[in-house]
Parts: sequence; C-alpha cells; structure tokens
Amino acid sequence: MIKIVEESGSKIAAEEVDVVTTGTFGPMCSSGAFLNFGHSDPPIKFDHLWLNEVHAYHGNAAVDCYIGVTRMADKRPFEYGGGNVIEELVSRKQIRLRGISNTTDCYPLGEINTYFTIDDLNQAILCNPRNAYQRYVCAVNSTDRTLYTYMGKLLPNFGNAHYCGSGSLNPLSNDPDYETIGIGTRIFLGGGIGYIMGHGTQHNPKERFGTLFVKGDLKQMSEEYLRGVNYEKYGTSMFCGVGVPIPILNEGLAKKTAIKDEDIITEIVDYGIPRRDRPRLRKINYKELKSGYIEIEGQKVKCSSMSSLYNARKIANELKEWIEDGKFFLNPPAKNLPTDTEYKSMIQTDKIKFVKDLKKKAVICYDDCDIKIVAEKIINQNINHIIITDRENKLKGIVTSFDITKAVAKNKNSLEDIITKKVITTSDNEPVEVAARKMKKHEISALPVIDDKNYVVGIISSEELLGG
Amino acid sequence: MTIINVTVPFHLIKKIDDYSQIINEILKHRVSFNILKFSTTSEGINLLLDIPEEKTKQITESLMSSEIQVNKKGRVTLDEDLCIDCGACLSLCVVEALHYNEDDEVEFSEDKCIGCLICIDSCPRGAIKESK
Repeated sequence: MIKIVEESGSKIAAEEVDVVTTGTFGPMCSSGAFLNFGHSDPPIKFDHLWLNEVHAYHGNAAVDCYIGVTRMADKRPFEYGGGNVIEELVSRKQIRLRGISNTTDCYPLGEINTYFTIDDLNQAILCNPRNAYQRYVCAVNSTDRTLYTYMGKLLPNFGNAHYCGSGSLNPLSNDPDYETIGIGTRIFLGGGIGYIMGHGTQHNPKERFGTLFVKGDLKQMSEEYLRGVNYEKYGTSMFCGVGVPIPILNEGLAKKTAIKDEDIITEIVDYGIPRRDRPRLRKINYKELKSGYIEIEGQKVKCSSMSSLYNARKIANELKEWIEDGKFFLNPPAKNLPTDTEYKSMIQTDKIKFVKDLKKKAVICYDDCDIKIVAEKIINQNINHIIITDRENKLKGIVTSFDITKAVAKNKNSLEDIITKKVITTSDNEPVEVAARKMKKHEISALPVIDDKNYVVGIISSEELLGG
Repeated sequence: MTIINVTVPFHLIKKIDDYSQIINEILKHRVSFNILKFSTTSEGINLLLDIPEEKTKQITESLMSSEIQVNKKGRVTLDEDLCIDCGACLSLCVVEALHYNEDDEVEFSEDKCIGCLICIDSCPRGAIKESK
C-alpha cells in the first residue's frame, strides 16, 4: 500500500485496493482459553484443577475452566506454563487433568485424574483480554547487572536493546482511528478464524496504545501461530498470531494504511529503574528499531525484536490468500472500538514504604581508622555493619562483624585487608521491596543508603525490613 | 577486536596457575587484550579473549604451537523446529552468528559463533542449546 500511495496517490489507491491485511506475532501475556470438559460420572464440581500441573481458574461452574498463559506449573515454574498447555492442546497432544472438589450432594466426586485431547472437549475457546498492542516501548538497562525481564535479557550499561511489535504491519496502526475495527470484526487468530470482542484491557487510544479483546475457536487453530514461551527468570507467556483485514472504504483509509515504520514513534525506556514511571531516554521510530542498531548516549547499541516480523508478514499474507480464495469474509463491526478510553494506574490505598521511611542512621568509620575502633563500635552500638567513608562522608566500603572475626582469625590488622569495597547500595526513594530483593539476590543483610553523589545518608538492614 | 575461545586441555595442567600459559603466549606479542570469560569445561580451562584483530593470526598460531586449542567452531546449536524467529537472541550476539536473513527469519552461522553462550538463556523457546 505504501508503494501504491506513493506512486499513484491515495485517491487511486482507494479505488484500486479493496483490503489491506495486517499481522502481528509476539508474546501476548494476556491470553488464555476457556475449556469445557463435559460431566464425569459421578459428577464433580472443581474447586481446584490442573492441566499438566498448571493451575487453571475454576470459578465458573462445575466443569468449565480458564487456563491463562502466564500461570506457571506448580512444580516447574519458569519452565512450563499455560502457554505451553495451549500449544500442546492445539497440537492435539494428550493433556493430564487433575481436579479436586469439596463434594456436594449434586457433585459427589472428590477427585479426578484423567487424560484428554482437545477433541474430547465440548468447547475450547481462545479468549484473550489484551492482544495486539498498537505499539510498544523499546527496553534498555542502565544498571551494572544483567536484567531478565518480559522484554528479554537486557545487558548492563545499555549493552543491548529490545523492542516489540510489527510496526507498520500492526493491525491498529493501520486503522488508528478504528474506522473499520470494532466489536464483531472477523479476524485471523492463531491460524483460525476469530472475532474481536471489543477493546482490550489497558486500551489507551489517546496515547496510540490501543489493544484488542479477541476470541476464537481453539479447535480450528494451529500450533504454528500459538507458541508457548518461557522467559528466563521472568516466566511463561504465549506468542499469538493476530491478523486484521482493513477494508479501504475511503481515501483516508488508503492514506492511513500506507503508514511507514518511520511514522510510528515509541520511546526508549530504562528498565533498570524498577518503577512504574521508568525513565524515558528519548523518542524513537520503528524504522530505526528494525535497523538492528540504535544510538544511546552517543553509543551504537545492538537492538532486536521480541516479536517475529517474519511470522507477522506470513499472517498478513495468509489472511490475504483466505480473502482471495473466498474462505474469509469481511464484516462491518457492530460497534467501533472506543477512541476516548482513559488509562489509569492502580489505586494503592496501602502506602508503599520507601527506604527513607525505614532507614537508620549509619554508624560510620573513616577509611584511615584502625580496625580496633571499628570493632569497638560494633560492640558498643550492638550492630553488625560499619560503613566506611572518606573524611567527606563519601562511601568507600563496608565492614561487618564477620569481617572483624575473620581479621582476628587470620591475623590481619589493617582495615584495607578486610573492607568490602564493591558495595551494593540503595537510595532514599527506592521502594523497600526493591531493596529487599537486592539483599536476597546478593545474600547480604544490609545496604548503605547513598545519595546521587555517593554521600552516605543512612543504612537499611534486614532487621528494619522485618520490623517494618 | 576479535574474540577467540581458547582451551588449555587438562593434560597440560598440573597446577591451577597453568592456565596463565595462555596469557603468557599472548603477552609475547606485546598487545593489550581483555579476558571476557573464564570457565572450566569437560575439556580443560576455557577462556574467552578479546584480542586485537591485526594480531589474530600470529596469536592463534603461537597458542596452537603450545598445544592450546583455539576453537573456531561455535558451541551452540539452533533448533529450527523450536525457533519462532522472534529475535530475542539477536541483540546479544556480538559476532552476528545469530542474525536475520533477508526474510527476517533467524539464522545461525556456526562458523561465526565464538561460544560465549550469552544467548542461551535469552531464548524463550529453549531453541538454543550448548553443543557437546
């Protein structure tokens, strides 16, 4: 469409082109499937059930369930999850069902163990509350350690960058005002035919972060377009293929579907700061992202995608063939997607605690002082950690009571011999949870609190965390 | 800079410090270099080194003359049946052994791989494995 509009203009393009097909194939965490098993004899009403060890939601009637893709297997989390179960279901593999019940007069069976395939089910309906994000951010990591996130493995010191989405091939980017997309729109979903149920959760049209709520008959779908994934130290999800046909009803739609990667702007976001409002480094377009390298603070950084452009293109082409072969018909939506939905953050009635709320005054020794003075302070003040600074109060290191014990055992007399110089630190505005994670990860029991100029402003230890 | 993957086989090692033979061999060429990774494998002590490109040939030859193995072959495999062409591994591969072809399918060029293994845990499909 880009070429036709460029060469012949949008008027001719609108006359000559009937439909533009779009596609996207990426990790879509808000996905899952409703399954109905039929009744057992004697009947059971599930209170808990597991599909291949993955806990499914059971709160809807006796033998219905919802299996979500980010739910991980009880015994092998970070390895196998709901996305894998759905992939195996569409691959027509046997799935183990284990269910337990409190039993009732009408549902007397207390436990069931059985194997089934998708063909044994009454219904298997893929139902995804949030798919096909219009665009997504580009993730980088400013910290000095590798991060494992839902945006993949992010190397320290801006070592790499990851983005997601098919850019100019994305369904919602081709119809950004939702003129043709809405409730009931027939779409390509997971290799079969599906429907848009409405706008997805977190739909944020004003910021051009629209989403889709989709459903379709899982029994017709293919494992080629529903792939269970597991991100190291993050968890499971599922790649889902979505393709939406955009009928070119007017010249405006011809222009809009000629959208280019350089017209779709997103932001580079620092995932090193684990807060909702992560720092935004700068704006960037999908053309630059797809080039393989992006520039951050004057450095050339390798950049790659979390979603598959190859498969997104395959989906758009397959949908095109279906339409040409008369296997797929376009329909007008019953109601277009909303363009004015508000996007809110969570209301938190319990106040989040920050390091500054729990920190204590640090007991400090200067880096030129004698070990004996350090030992005395530990005993007199009944503490385990002494922070070592220079005369200006800048952090130099940390010494623990264990270090002193070691010094005595090994006959070391100088502070230099026992000080830990590479110190893991925290700051006043870090949430306590984040500080606690640092302690757990590095197996330490205290963190010096420093300001942005490396001046010591306190200490927080596991004792404060337990007390707070 | 060029990255090479060198192994001192166990039969050459009597003391743990013997791995420094690698360092000494390279220092003979009066170059500065970086040790990117130090590990032991079933074959011996393994180092991933970043050396100046123009000295690659001489350094490789002198290492090999002292029975130190210089691995040119990669140490990972890509299972194409499991791969879904996402690209989550691409940004981690400094030598572009993992790359897109012209259709944006993920391809693995074994000859370029230096076996740094950084990519392995980036694959959400478990398609990249360390080859034995």
